[in-house]
Amino acid sequence: MNITEYIASGILESYVMGAVSDQERREVECLSSIYPEIRQEIDQLAEALENYALLHSVEPPASVKDKLLKELEFGQPKEVEHEPIIRELPTNGPTYRVTWIVAASMGLLLLLFSFYLLSELRTNQKTLAATRTANDALQLEMRQIRDNQSRTEQTLALLRQPGLRTIELRGNEKAPQGDMIVFWNTQTHQVAVDVRSLPNLPADKQYQLWSMVDGKPVDAGVFDATNGTELLQRLNRTVARADAFAVTVEKRGGSPIPTTSTLLALSPVNA
Amino acid sequence: MKRPSSLVSESVLIEKLTQRDQQAFQWLYDQYSPALYGVVLRIVRDDEQAADLLQDIFVKIWKNLDAYDASKGRLFTWMLNIARNSAIDSLRARKTQPSAAIRTDEENVHIVDRQYNTEQPNPEFIGVQEVVNQLRPERKQLIDLVYFSGYTHEEAAEKLNLPLGTVKTRIRAALQELKQLFK
Repeated sequence: MNITEYIASGILESYVMGAVSDQERREVECLSSIYPEIRQEIDQLAEALENYALLHSVEPPASVKDKLLKELEFGQPKEVEHEPIIRELPTNGPTYRVTWIVAASMGLLLLLFSFYLLSELRTNQKTLAATRTANDALQLEMRQIRDNQSRTEQTLALLRQPGLRTIELRGNEKAPQGDMIVFWNTQTHQVAVDVRSLPNLPADKQYQLWSMVDGKPVDAGVFDATNGTELLQRLNRTVARADAFAVTVEKRGGSPIPTTSTLLALSPVNA
Repeated sequence: MKRPSSLVSESVLIEKLTQRDQQAFQWLYDQYSPALYGVVLRIVRDDEQAADLLQDIFVKIWKNLDAYDASKGRLFTWMLNIARNSAIDSLRARKTQPSAAIRTDEENVHIVDRQYNTEQPNPEFIGVQEVVNQLRPERKQLIDLVYFSGYTHEEAAEKLNLPLGTVKTRIRAALQELKQLFK
């Protein structure tokens, strides 16, 4: 705030002349209480006006003073307002009862409102917990779906590689339902199986795949009755050549020689 | 400028006044009644009415002393404002009555007033009167209109046929000049 400018604006002159609006008057009084310069200027202007008024002094008739001295009350100021008013409180009057009832109702209302708020809070907490559980479940499901997708993509990539051969094996009389597909890549020599329906084996047994090369069985790796979560089971042996594929049941970990009595399926590779 | 010599300081006076001290009231009356009477007379232009008003004004001052706030302004200014407002109110109240038609035109009253003032100059302020006459007439006229007749700036502008801005500028200039004159 520019005080010099405010003083020069002429508002203070109007103020001491009594020619300002109520709002302006309040503003000037507020500012003069803050800024001593403004207060000083107002005082000087007021003094100038006082002096101007004094110039018009005229002795009033003496009767005025006489009347005033008779009319006014002199002595100690009345202190009625300051005297404490002592009054007995009506203990069972209607006012007292009404006050009590109002206070009690207010208390009751407040209590009810608190209960309402508390129940709201509980409901919200329950909803929140339910939402959290649902959210966790959804996240888990999403993770699984994502895993599945990546596995599917890997499988698809495998299947798309050039040189892949698909050999369908059908179970013999020992396993009439034992259908499976052997995927053999003649270029990378990798082998994978897709078990469709093979009977479950005891824990110490595993299925073993054999590749027949010039009439001799060559170990092509072991696999289980199901693919598990994978679409395919990739075997850890490579097969460079094969005339046919066969499956036997062997002890867990595989056997160097196939047990022919447990031969389940045999299928030639159509060259 | 010679102001009425203070017998007691204003704060002591105010304290005694709020205790409804008769001595203090007499001092206040003797000190300021001529100035207040002069202002009232100047506004209402009637001896009898001015005397009645002066009495009312001192009753008002006496009863409202508690309302006086020294932090907001000087005591004499406060009293002057009460006097001015009472006189202007009474003048306006009278104007609204039908009997106001009796009043002659303003110019005549001014002439009468001037004669009245020259007949009874306050001897204490003769020298100062001359000083005040140094005020430019148009500035003095504005102070008198606004201060003694309670005209608003707008009303003064209309009466004097001046732009409002000029009125405001002149009032400022007049008061500043007045301030210098009494230094």
